Amino acid sequence: MNRRRFDIWSLLRIVFLVLLTLFTVIPMLWMVLTSIKTQFAALQYPPEWIPHNVTLEQYTRLLSPTSDVGPEFLGYMFNSLVVSTASTILGVMVAVPAAYAFSRFRFAGRNALFYTVLLRNMFPAVVFLMPLFVMMRWLHLVNTQYSLIITYLTFGLPLSIWLLKGFYDNIPPQLEQAARIDGASRFQAFIRVVMPLSTPGIIATAIYSFILAWNEYVYALTFLNDKSKLTLPVGLQRFFTEYATNWPGLMAASFITSVPVVVLFLVLQKYFVRALTEGAVKG
Amino acid sequence: MSLLAAPKPPPRWRRLLADYAYVAPALGVMLLVIGYPIYDTVYLSFFNTPPSLAMEDKIYVGLDNYARILASDSFREVTWNTFIWTVFSTFFAFLLGLGAALSLNREFIGRGLMRGVLLVPYVVSGVSAAYIWRWLYHSDFGVIGAASVALGITDRPFNFLDNVDTVLPSLIVVNVWKEFSFAMIMLLAGLQTVPDQLYRAAMVDGAGPWHRFWHVTMPHLKSVTIVTVLLLLVANLNSFIIPWIMTGGGPVGASDIWITAIYQLAFERVRFGIASAYSVILFIVMMAMGYFYVKALTRRDEAEAR
Repeated sequence: MNRRRFDIWSLLRIVFLVLLTLFTVIPMLWMVLTSIKTQFAALQYPPEWIPHNVTLEQYTRLLSPTSDVGPEFLGYMFNSLVVSTASTILGVMVAVPAAYAFSRFRFAGRNALFYTVLLRNMFPAVVFLMPLFVMMRWLHLVNTQYSLIITYLTFGLPLSIWLLKGFYDNIPPQLEQAARIDGASRFQAFIRVVMPLSTPGIIATAIYSFILAWNEYVYALTFLNDKSKLTLPVGLQRFFTEYATNWPGLMAASFITSVPVVVLFLVLQKYFVRALTEGAVKG
Repeated sequence: MSLLAAPKPPPRWRRLLADYAYVAPALGVMLLVIGYPIYDTVYLSFFNTPPSLAMEDKIYVGLDNYARILASDSFREVTWNTFIWTVFSTFFAFLLGLGAALSLNREFIGRGLMRGVLLVPYVVSGVSAAYIWRWLYHSDFGVIGAASVALGITDRPFNFLDNVDTVLPSLIVVNVWKEFSFAMIMLLAGLQTVPDQLYRAAMVDGAGPWHRFWHVTMPHLKSVTIVTVLLLLVANLNSFIIPWIMTGGGPVGASDIWITAIYQLAFERVRFGIASAYSVILFIVMMAMGYFYVKALTRRDEAEAR
């Protein structure tokens, strides 16, 4: 009796997982299949389910510095890399000491401050968009990548503080106490003992922050308009308006845009999952 | 500070000062890029701003902006869309996430790989995702339309995104595709906190899978569920990329939600004043949710401290 029931639930589980995987994978598979078709083959009805003439033409066009769209696309990629890296480094550098203080010290206003950090995750980007736009205009930073590096801190910094605090909470304070007994100052204990132990946490936080910055679209859409300064997400949109019927090209560009973050994520999946769930899930 | 062991501890005020030195840079940056913008949004919401954005020419209008938004017909329609979008996206993302988490919460070969594959939509860039789905929904060459003809569901390819009745559900599907795995890993992490003994005890008592789920699993997932649902609600209220790239709020406003409406007001019609008032309304809704979010998190911290 019990066994039979168990079998039904297992079956349901497998069916559910298969359907869910299909739902997840088919759109991405179709992106890849479209990207290796010729333009003519992509615009067929009914569609070619399996491409007959496989071509990597779109990829070589996008990634070759001498083709018609290559320099533009590689430029977007380079801009994304610069902006994401710079804002991640800046955010993590500022977040590390703050997160440590939130985790260890008991100063007045600590809780109030920390909840402000948490609440930031609740605010829509659009709330910040107009004042930041006015501010960037005033600083003459509109249409420069500095505007993005600074404004990406609106989400990068609170998130980094929140994640890093979770990691510091898991490092036993006894280790620093031991260092203090051996004569280290508080700052030395932090630098020499805690920092090396929190390296995985810092890496996880940096990756998460990098992925968010790499995928960010609203700020980039609003602050940049020079073609040479765009980041990948807005660059992709530009491609779409310019080559609206070249679906293989657009799918190849979407694919290339996604590759870096997906690879980063798959390699460091364990850290990434930990970063996402850290704090929200504790016993 | 001396490198050698200090003979006596530094005075209390110096210690406190040192504490604040750790948070000061973060605080400064947050005041600049978060605190000031919030203040400025509220401030601007009481003004009529010129389209040239020459802020010295703005005119004080009191609560006029709010009155105009709340009285407009489009506000009601957009609010209704926002409600449908947020509630259904959250519900289905949570449901699929819960199903996936329960299914993956036992050892089998390829489990890690499967979790990774299911998570990919969540990390893919939103703009890429929006274009992938635009192509899937394409009115002439879209694979979804072709598949529904091939399977005999419809006799012609269907135009999902240009139809007032189907556009919002179609976008919700994309959104659920993008974010269900967030709910999945949150719940998966929550499931790992359920002690195995409880399941065994329940099994000894003759509880079937359904009873075990309701009486053992769900009570343990309560706080993770609250946090996950709140974060999903907030993310959905804030989502911009999918509706903006896929339809731009159209056709005739059928997929316009608060965020896209605010963006249009602010950066297409360049009316910062009224757009700020709109943002403040959204902001108040967010704060109400934020209150429950912080409460859910602190309640658990207190429970932990005990």
